[in-house]
This record gives sequence, structure tokens and C-alpha cells, in this order.
Amino acid sequence: MTADTLAGWSAANRRRAEAMLAAYPDRRSAVMPLLYLAAMEHGHITEDAMREVAALTGMTPAQVQSVASFYTMYKRDGVGRYLISVCTSISCFLLGSDALLAAVEEETGTAGGESSDDGLFSVEHVECIGACGGAPALQVNYELVEGVAPDKGAALCRWLRDAGPEIVLSDEMQQLFGGRRSFDWAIREHEGAVAPVPAFAPYGSSGEEGA
Amino acid sequence: MTAETGDRVTITIDGREHAAEPGALLIKAAEEAGTYIPRFCWHPRMKPVGMCRMCLVEVETPRGRMLTTACTMPVAEGLVVDTKSAVVEKAQEGVLEFLLINHPLDCPVCDKGGECPLQDQTMSYGPGESRFVEEKRHYEKPIPISDLVLLDRERCILCARCTRFSDEISGDPLIEFKDRGNLTQVITFPDEAFSSYFSGNTVEICPVGALTAKPYRFRARPWDLEAVESVSMVDSFGSRVSVQASQNEVLRINGVDNDPTNQGWLSDKDRFVFEAINSEHRLTTPLVKENGEFREAQWSEALELIAERLGSVRGDEVAGLGGARSTNEEAFAFGKFLRTVVVTPHLDAQLDDGLDPRFLAGTVARATVSDLEEAATILVWAADLKEELPVLYLRVRRAATELGASVVVVHPRRTGLDDVAAVKLTYRPGDGADLLGSLRSKRRARAEVTAARAALKDGPVVAIVGRTSAAERPGLAEAVAAFARDLPGAKILPVARRANVFGALDMGLSPELLPGRVPAASAQGRSALEEAWGPIPEPGGRSATPILEGLRDGAVSSLVLLGCDPARDHPRPILARQALENAGFVVALDLFLSDTAQLADVVLPLEGFAETEGTVTNLEGRVQKVNRIIPGPGRSRPAWSVLGDLSRRMGGDLGAPSAEVLMEEIATVAPAYRGLSWDRLEWGDGREGLVVPTGDGEQPLQHVPDAAALDGAGDGWALHAGRVLYDDGVLTRMSPSLAALAPRAAAYLGPADAGKVGVEAGEEVILRGPYGAVALPVGIDPTLAGGTVYVPANLPATAALGAPSHVEIERLEGGGS
Amino acid sequence: MASGFPPILTGRMTEAPGDSHTIARYEATGGYTTLRTALSGMTPEQVTEQVKASNLQGRGGAAFPTGVKWGFLAPATPRFLVVNADESEPGTFKDRQLLERDPHQLIEGTVLSAYALAVHHAFVYVRGEYPKPARRLQRAIDEAYAAGFLGSDILGSGFDLDLMVHLGAGAYICGEETALLNSLEGKRGEPRIKPPFPAVEGLYSRPTIVNNVETISNVPWIVANGGRAYASIGDPASAGTRLFSLSGHVKNPGNYEIPMDLTWRELIYDIGGGIPEGRELKCWIPGGASAPWFVPAEHLDTRVTKDDVAENGSMLGSGAVVVMDDTTNVVAAAHRIVRFFAHESCGQCTPCREGTTWLERMLWRILQGHGRPQDLDMLMDVSDNISPGLTWPPAMTTICPLGPSAVSPITSIMKYFRDEVEEMLAAGVTT
Ligand SMILES: Cc1cc2nc3c(=O)[nH]c(=O)nc-3n(C[C@H](O)[C@H](O)[C@H](O)COP(=O)(O)O)c2cc1C
Ligand code: SF4
Ligand code: FES
Repeated sequence: MTADTLAGWSAANRRRAEAMLAAYPDRRSAVMPLLYLAAMEHGHITEDAMREVAALTGMTPAQVQSVASFYTMYKRDGVGRYLISVCTSISCFLLGSDALLAAVEEETGTAGGESSDDGLFSVEHVECIGACGGAPALQVNYELVEGVAPDKGAALCRWLRDAGPEIVLSDEMQQLFGGRRSFDWAIREHEGAVAPVPAFAPYGSSGEEGA
Repeated sequence: MTAETGDRVTITIDGREHAAEPGALLIKAAEEAGTYIPRFCWHPRMKPVGMCRMCLVEVETPRGRMLTTACTMPVAEGLVVDTKSAVVEKAQEGVLEFLLINHPLDCPVCDKGGECPLQDQTMSYGPGESRFVEEKRHYEKPIPISDLVLLDRERCILCARCTRFSDEISGDPLIEFKDRGNLTQVITFPDEAFSSYFSGNTVEICPVGALTAKPYRFRARPWDLEAVESVSMVDSFGSRVSVQASQNEVLRINGVDNDPTNQGWLSDKDRFVFEAINSEHRLTTPLVKENGEFREAQWSEALELIAERLGSVRGDEVAGLGGARSTNEEAFAFGKFLRTVVVTPHLDAQLDDGLDPRFLAGTVARATVSDLEEAATILVWAADLKEELPVLYLRVRRAATELGASVVVVHPRRTGLDDVAAVKLTYRPGDGADLLGSLRSKRRARAEVTAARAALKDGPVVAIVGRTSAAERPGLAEAVAAFARDLPGAKILPVARRANVFGALDMGLSPELLPGRVPAASAQGRSALEEAWGPIPEPGGRSATPILEGLRDGAVSSLVLLGCDPARDHPRPILARQALENAGFVVALDLFLSDTAQLADVVLPLEGFAETEGTVTNLEGRVQKVNRIIPGPGRSRPAWSVLGDLSRRMGGDLGAPSAEVLMEEIATVAPAYRGLSWDRLEWGDGREGLVVPTGDGEQPLQHVPDAAALDGAGDGWALHAGRVLYDDGVLTRMSPSLAALAPRAAAYLGPADAGKVGVEAGEEVILRGPYGAVALPVGIDPTLAGGTVYVPANLPATAALGAPSHVEIERLEGGGS
Repeated sequence: MASGFPPILTGRMTEAPGDSHTIARYEATGGYTTLRTALSGMTPEQVTEQVKASNLQGRGGAAFPTGVKWGFLAPATPRFLVVNADESEPGTFKDRQLLERDPHQLIEGTVLSAYALAVHHAFVYVRGEYPKPARRLQRAIDEAYAAGFLGSDILGSGFDLDLMVHLGAGAYICGEETALLNSLEGKRGEPRIKPPFPAVEGLYSRPTIVNNVETISNVPWIVANGGRAYASIGDPASAGTRLFSLSGHVKNPGNYEIPMDLTWRELIYDIGGGIPEGRELKCWIPGGASAPWFVPAEHLDTRVTKDDVAENGSMLGSGAVVVMDDTTNVVAAAHRIVRFFAHESCGQCTPCREGTTWLERMLWRILQGHGRPQDLDMLMDVSDNISPGLTWPPAMTTICPLGPSAVSPITSIMKYFRDEVEEMLAAGVTT
């Protein structure tokens, strides 16, 4: 069944899917990682993606939709190449997150959660991303940048547009556009996001294929 | 906590002490003690989820009083509860207010208006007026989520009863929550309808008008409805129903929670079949054929004509078929009419698509449905229960998922129960005896067989035994029963189609049986019956197929049919047709002008379900009362009355001034029914239905067939002619909402076999068997055993094939690609 | 990490800022020796004994004694251990640091705990928005497998443990332990009714222990140094050190590991450096967004211990201290927090689903200048219908504490800043 369902998937993601199904004590538990994989394959969580995940886990598509729609990171509408998530929860709010959000929306030409016309950006405001010590903070494809002043936020967007990085690296953006961090990040890392899906080796990222 | 089963604990509710069952949920214990705690999400037949929070009460804890939901709180000794404190009242009012802020105020046009718990509880517990000034949630107004059900998300209070039912109870989770928090809604997957055989239950248990059923949307206001309890006559499970009518029309059928049977649930066929009752195609007047055309006739004229024609031939030239869709009283009257007025031994309630009547009526160690609750292992070697006995399927499913029974399913292809089965054995029809042999032996076998053997060692075992399809030899089921009888703690539940087939056999509608499960060959039984009835014909009468052959060949001249359609239902449709065409005289008592009735000489209109009173007997042998709420259409009459009238005109007497008197007679002449009465079923100890005793020791029948005689050999492809729920049976056909759900006909082959034949899905083939041929598109069914072709039986496109054991498959050249 | 106390959790990351997350550094600084000792010389019961003696209290929010919780684990097998790294409470970012900067400490703690609990399959549930911590942890797990600290027959002891990272996907409620278990089972992250508690019926209905990242990260130290040593640190009722996440209007935001015997003044002014730009402290949240607020006039000199905070009607919760200065519009701040809970409500129970959204919309309307005088009472009454009596710890009409958490900011501003709210209603002030 797996083979048929995943006919359209890349070899790497097919392998990852099989590994996920094998790793959990129960197939259904693999639904969340599989949804990330499906998002890598389809760009976002399409109806087909949910059908595929249903076939893999033995759930009905309605059940997969029920799970997928519970979590905010499974995007069921198309997302731009760079998903910018600006934290507007309490600590960031106190330190000017609304101005940062406005600057980012302005620079990318997006508003109210829409994607930019060129399909490059989606901008959302999100609840706390655990960067309160480095407020205000944002994430690009879930890669974190802390201490982002509004003008730096706009500059970051311009940079994304102009440089168009294939891989979004937290450390690189932090160095170029970030400010105060919640804590010392230690060494620079070269693993980052290749899509608006968290860059974690089992789902695909720029890094080595994981464990 | 340490209390043993049966011990009661003492709990205090609002200052008064009550004895309660330990571990029972507080909401239930309180209700038993006379205190009703309001609720929305809790349903007694589903696991508590404590979501709606309407049932909040205060309980005393070592850390003081605490609010808790009564639906999730098990009672224990010393529990002290306050259900009416100020805190509780405020909390309940608060919950209601929260539920109402987004609820539309459209009660006047809502189907639920008048019987809506939200409406009722707002009256009793709710806040006065709304202080919610923000905008309400908006959704597209009712959207169809299946052919039968509409969903209005604005009315939904998110109690999850529907989603839990379809996940927990029916096992088809097609309706689910989507999104979260304040955006949570109930919905299906796009383009994936809520096509469940049980969808109507969600409409019934929806506490508001969010889910509505198309067949009764806007048809009636609840306060206009009258209701009567009855028993569904769609299949032989005997689900208890509430039949609701207004102005002589049945407008709704709901489930009734009868613990031993349906526990509140119904199949959609049980529920929406009322459309057939109201059908404009119902017969309303007697019809007499003249020059090949029917004309309307008076009852007196039609009955005179029948009396004359039947009276003009020797009694044993007449045969009777049917009765399995009638009440026991009607079936009894039919048997008495045939045996004492016509004086013929040729009678049969089955059409050779069931099992040996001596087996069905005489199963020793017969199981009740409730035995499933205690079973360690359940063997299902029968038709696909989900298709033929859907509520029994629910009960087996519950035993597997909730009560931990391991289910062993044996069938030629996938069945509804496979998902919950511990072991599934697939076999080619015809090879059943071999498979049975290997289950019985200890020799090495394939893994599933070994697993099945192991499971079946764990008792108590309940074996649900029947014919997997009419194409399979009936003896196999008996051999399976004989095998199962030796399993630890074994009980057997025989299954067969047609609503009251067990009742009809119990009433003696078989050449092998006299009323009350007495073998026709028993001299003692015969003389006892003759004492009451006078002389009856010698045993050895013809059963269905010999009757039809006799009609075709001239040995039998006349046929009386009671709600019976052999032209469609007999496994050999051509034989049935020839028999009816060759017959000298055919009279059909029916609700509809069936294919068979069209070939009759006289047709008499009957009252049916919801129109007549009587009793029915389900597959456990449970006798329940069916009731009347509307008159039948036109000049239709109950069968017992028609037969009584006809008897008098033929110089006999059924002694049947009423159906109730017939029951009194049944209770005296039918041993197994001794002592039964309508009163007992309505008012006495029999409100859940009474299982008539099979009495192990004194059981008159010990019909154990010879497994070795079951040879499946034959030429060509083994045919599996399995039934589907929405087939072309008259009830479905006459219920437009259900008729639309009939599946597409096809000839299904395994992928490898399709390759062998050289066909792909969608291409046409001709299936040719000894009884007929049909052209069908090919479907692929990977669950079929090799060498098998599956054809859903009794669809318009497949009926002509009948149910032979083997067929030839021919490719239609040039068809499809 | 100024506190003058030798740190338990954060020492390695301060001393080796470059590579504290690598196995090389971890082992070089004594890491995994405790595991070696325990697996070769201690019984599982002895490990549990140390944890019990330490009086370690859960760092996930409820501060339940870890040893006591472990004692509830039902005997059935298989059984599971789940490390809760869903850290999503606004203001909290301590577990992120532990994951990123010292993942081996967590892994060693996990193996020790699993050994004590006879668990052979453990999970770390990391929130989806933490890909980098997840990567660091995964790499560390890979290193630990390679070095024989995970997998079968760990260090030749015969003890087996598999450890898996499961990434969440954006749902704060999955930090609630039973919602987390549902999520791990591939379901919606809806909290379950308790009882049964996870220790009896948890993941896949099996006995399961759920502990916070910080809780488990303490275990190696406790086993190495003894439970009594740990119990002697800080306030007797609040043993050990805690990581506090300081954010908002303070000069030096960050995570600080301190023993619980300071005052709030010391934490905010001495450690946090005080309020920037010469502004005044207006109020602070002592324990994450769920916690009722504190104000300087009443609480600055009370102590940062579990009991002192509780006596003053709040909690240390997840250890997140959010500081607000005198420029803060408290209605806007409260709105942000209520908005958070409304957004994160799983939606299964009526009062939370409907009530938090209603509160959010009322506050928003007030902020838009459309407040009405009766809104004050309505805010309180709707809050009361979620959390009857508006007490702390909250009574609940809900399944889990998320709904009642949304009430804290409202009761806080009504208690301390009622005049500001009234003024706003009167003036129709817009932010
Ligand atoms: C709404 C809600 C959110 C929670 N979020 C977290 C969380 O993000 N991380 C965490 O460790 N515990 C969280 N908890 C607490 C957990 O339910 C659980 O008590 C904790 O993980 C147990 O670990 P501990 O005993 O080590 O503290 C949350 C609780 C609630 C009610
Ligand atoms: S209180 Fe809120 S988050 Fe918690 S279970 Fe209820 S609806 Fe879900
Ligand atoms: S009936 Fe108890 S919470 Fe709904």
C-alpha cells in the first residue's frame, strides 16, 4: 500500500515515510511527521496530501483532516517560499512586535495573513515562539531571528527577496538582522530550512539526512 | 470500591441517601435515584467525554467542594453530591449561555424545535436574555454531507456525539472535528460523503438541529407526531423502533434502546424505510386479471374467485410460499389455512436461499445477542453482517472493540468486520468444507488457520453461522455449526435473511415443521396438533424449489403467495418465472405489485409494518410485539383477516376473529410459544421481548449434518453472490432515499484473476451460469480468494444471474479498453 | 547566570559556550559518569529513592513532586516516559536553552529516569516551532546511540532504551500532558479527562510518566550528588535551583538559574538589571501567562518560592517572569494574553471555547474605544463562569486549566488597575 500511495513522492521522502511508519509503536502516531513530509512534497497540506497520509496510517481522510487542522503549522492553503512568522505574544508585544509586524507586512506587500502577489512571502502573526528574552522575534520558515527592530525586519525581507536564499539559516539571519538573543546560541550552524516546514532531518532540511 | 457485583453503595444526592451501583456514572446513578442532571454530550451508549460541561455538580472531597462533571464521575461509597447549589446553578447557567451565544435563534424553523434539549434546558436552566453583543459565528447554512444527512454548523454545539458515534460505534469515522478552539466545526472531508449505513443515528442523537435527515426534513413538527413502539421489519435482527406518524402517515422512525437487541441504534434502512410504507406504489385494492390485464375488484369478488379456483383442485395441487415478511400471527394463519382449509403439505417460508428449517428452528445451544457481551471469541462464518444484519454487526463490533472479544471472520472476501477481526480467513466458495476440515485438524496449516484455531480455543465462543451467499451450499453452515458446537462454552447464533423468517418457521411454514418447532415427522407432535386442528396432511410436502418445479412441470397447479417474490428472490429466477407462467392459478397477497404479483391471477392488498399488530421472532428466538399506528392504504387488510375470510368462503374456519386470538392459539398449539401473550410482551416481563426456549435437553431436533457431504466441486468460476444492504429488494426500491444508494453492479475479480481473463476494471464481461446470464463491467477486488468472482446479488443488473455455485466468464470483445 | 550559586543545570553552557551541546564536551566535564555508576551499581529503586529524597518538583508548571509522581506509575508493561519539551507558555524559553545548549544532560537524565521506571521506550515531544533545539537534540541522541548510552544493552548493563524525538506542529495545549499524549498517538491535541492519570493510563493506554525537560535535566545531578544534597538547596519547600525566564521591560532579559530563596526585588533588579530607560516597574507576571500578576507595592519584597507566591495568589508556573513598566497599557497587555488562550483553546469544552473568545472580543472592543460601562461586570462574570469564584488556584468549569488561565490577566487588571480600565471605558481610549 505504501508503495502505491507514495508513487509520486521523492525517493528520499518515500524512505523517510517508511522509516516513520516503522519507528512508532502505532502507525497512527506517524501522522504528524507524515504530514510534514507531505507538506514538503506538495508545498502545503493539500487534499491529496491528506488522502495519502490517510492511506499510510490507516485513518480516514476526515480523521487526517481533523488532526491536520488542529495544528497551526500544517498549512492547508498555499504558502509563499518564505513564511515569516512574527511573534506578537506578550513579551514581544511589550517590546514592539506590532511595529515589526507592520514593517514586515509593508515591505512584503502582504496583509491579514495573505501571501504576497509574487508568491514569495507569506506573513503571519503567531503566538509565543519561545524567544521572549530576545523580543521582538520572528521566524522565517521556522528558523528563528531574535531582537529584530522594525527596520531590520524590513531589511530582512528585502534580503530574502534579493538574495533569495535556497536555504534559510537562523544564524545567518541573526547575524545580519538580529539583535539581542534570549541566550548565547553557541557555534554557528549550517543546517536550515528548504521549505516552510521545520528543518529537522527526518522531514528534510539542508543538513545531512538524520539518524 | 471493594463491593462485589451486585452490592450497592450509599451515595448522598442533595442531602438524600440513595443506594447506587458502584462504579456507575454519577449522571446515571442520579437519574436512577430520581435526580435529572442536565447534559448534552453524554450518551449512555458511548464513552463519556465530559466536553459540554452541562452536567457540572459539586462533590465533597477531602479538599472541599469541587465542581465536576457528573457524566465522568464514577460513584463510590460515601459520595456526597450537590446538584442544585448556587455554584452549580451558576455554572450550568454559564454553560448554557456560552452554548447560546453562537447558536442561531431559528427554533421556529428548526426540525428539532419542540424536542430540543438545548431549547428545553434554556427554559429550565438558562439565562434570561442575551448579553452577547459581538457577532455570532457564521457558516454556510445546511450543507448536505451525504445523500441522507444535512449539516447546519451554526446550530452545532460541538458535543461530538456524531463524531464519536461514527468512530466508536459504527467504525466509519467520516465525520470529524476540524480546526480548533472557537473555529472548531464538525465536517466531512471534501468530496468524501458521510456515507455510513448508520448515519441516521447521528441525526437522532444530535441534541440540537445541526444534523437533519433529508427524508424527514420539514415534514413534521415533533408536537404533531404520535408515536408507537414496534420492531423493525427490515431484517431478522429485530431492532426496537419508535414509529412516529401524523395524519395517517409515518413520518419518522427512531431507535429505541432495547438492551438485548439494538441498544438504541438502527441501520439507515431500518430508519428510512418508512418511505416504502408511504409509497404511492402500495396496493390499495384487490386486482383481478382479465385477458392478461389487471382490473380493480371488490374484496368479495376477488375472494369468491379465489375460493372457487382453489376449491376446484385437489388440496395437494396447491402450494403456499412466503410468510417470512409477515407477523407470527399472519404466518400462523397462513400455515393453518394451507394445512387445514386447502389441506396441502406444500408450503415454505424460505426460497432455498436460507438454511435447513430444522437447523434454523432447532439450533441447540442457541446464542442470544447478549451472549456476545461475554464471549471471549466470536466466530463469524456467515454473510457480511454489515450488509445483511447491520445492527448485529454493531453488536459484534462493540464486543470486539469495547469488550475485548477476539473475532474470527471467515468469508470469501472482505467484510465490514475485518477491521476489528483478530483473524480473517478468506476462502473460495466451495472450498469451505476443506477449510473447516483444516480448522478442525491439528496438522500444519497457513498462519491464519493456526491463529484461528488458537483463538477458537478460548471460550466462551459464540459462533454466528449462516450462508455467506445464496450461491453457497446450505449444508456448509450446518457443518460449521456442528464444528462450533464442540468449541469451549460454545453457543450458536444462526442467521438468515428476511425479517420474520424465524417466526415463520416457528409457525410451521415449512414442510418439515409444525408450529412451535415441532418436526412434521413427529407422530406425537402431529397428533397433538390434530387434536386442535383436526386432520392435517401427511408429512413429506414440497419445499420451495420442488414447489416451483412442480408448478413448472404440472404436478402442482396453484400457488398462494404471502408477501413473497420468488421471481426475484429465488436463486433460480428462470425457474421461478417458468413456474409462475405455467401455473394454473396464482394468488398473491402483498403490499406491492411485485415482479411475482404481476404474474398472478389475483392480487390482494395487505396492510404491513406500522399498520398491523402482531408479534415477530428474531434470530435469537426473541418474540416482540409490533404495533399499528396508521391504517393501511385504501382497502388493504391484514393477512390474517384476509385468510380468515377466504377460509370461510372455502368452507373452513381459521377461528381467527383477531390477531390477538391467533396469538392465544399459538400459545396453546405451538410448544415453544406456550404461555406467550400480547399482554406479557406489552405490560409484563416481556417488554424487552421474550426468547422462546430451545431447551437443550428436550429440544426435539438434533439436526447435525454430515460435513463430508459438502462437495464444492464444479466447473468454472466459483460465484460469491453476496447481498448488499441497498439491493433491489422491494423495501429499498420503494424508498427513494435508499434506492439512490444502491451500489453499481459489477463482476469483481482479484487482480491476478482479472489478468487471467484478460480484462481490466471497467471492461465488460458476460457471466453465464445455469440459471441465467448477465453482462457486467469488471471490478477489481483484491480481497477475493483466487478463482472466485463476486457479484452483488439482487441488483437490477445482476438479478438475472440468480445464485448458481459456478459461472463462466466471457470477455466481451470490443467493450471498453 | 549571576546568582552566586554553583549552577546545577547551566554550568556547562556558561563554562563552555562553544560546544556544551557536544558529547565530547559533555563527557569531558563528567557527563555520563553518573549513568555508568547507576547502571552498574544502583538498582532502579535506589535511583528512584534519590529522586524522592531530592524533593524535586516538576518544572512544567504544576510543581508536583517528581518522586511522588513516579511512585504512581502502574506496574503494567510496556510503559513509557515522555519528556515534555512543548514549552509554549508566553514568557517561557528555558527548555529551549536546555535543549540547545546541553542536550546530553537531558539524555542522561532520561536514561537514568527510564532505568528507574523500567521504561524501554521514551519520547521527547518538542514543539514544532523549535527546529533548532530538535536538531541539536537529535544529533545528541545519535551521538549517544553511537556511544552506547542509548539503544540495547546500554553500557553492558542489560538495560535497553529507545529514545525518539517527536515534533509538535503548533498547539500550546499539547504541553498539557494528556493532550500531548493524544498528539503523540496521532490525534488532535485535546486534553483527556483525569483520572485516569497518565501514570495509570497514558500513552496507548499504558502507564506513562510525563516530565518537563528541566525536571529531567536535574536528574543526573541528583543521582550523582544525592537527593539530600539537592533538597538542601534553596527554600526547604522549593528544593533545588530553577531556571527563570526573564523578559519584557527589564534591562537584562534571559534565563537565570537561581535557588528559590531570593526576593522578587533581587530577581528583577539585581539579576534582571531593573527597568530600562529609568522607567518604573508597573507589574509583573511571576510564572508565565497563566499566572495572576504581581505589583511592586505588594509583592516586591516577597520571596520567590512556591509557597510565598501561592500565598499571594499566584504561582511560579513555568518560571516565566514578564516585567511591565509604567508605560504599559494593561488592558492591551491583558488582551494579548487572553488572545493567546483563546487562540490556543483546543475547543472541546464549552466554557473555554466560547468564553475565552468572548473575553478576547470584549477586551478588543474596549481597546477599539467601544467599551460600555457594563463591560466591567460582564468581563468579571464571564470569567466567573469559566473559573467560578475567581480564586487561585482556580476552580474550573473546564476540563483543563487552559480556560481558567485566560481569566488571570482579567482578574489581575481588575484588582490592581481597575481605575485605568474604568477610565478607558469612560474615555473610549484607543491604543
Ligand atoms: C495548558 C497547559 C500547558 C502546559 N504546557 C506545558 C509545557 O509546555 N511544558 C511542560 O513541561 N509542561 C506543561 N504543562 C504541564 C504538564 O501538563 C505536566 O504537568 C508537566 O509536563 C509534567 O512535568 P513535571 O512534573 O516535570 O512538571 C502544561 C499544562 C497545561 C494545563
Ligand atoms: S479548558 Fe480549553 S484547552 Fe482545556 S480541554 Fe477545555 S477547551 Fe481544551
Ligand atoms: S454531559 Fe457531562 S460534560 Fe457533557
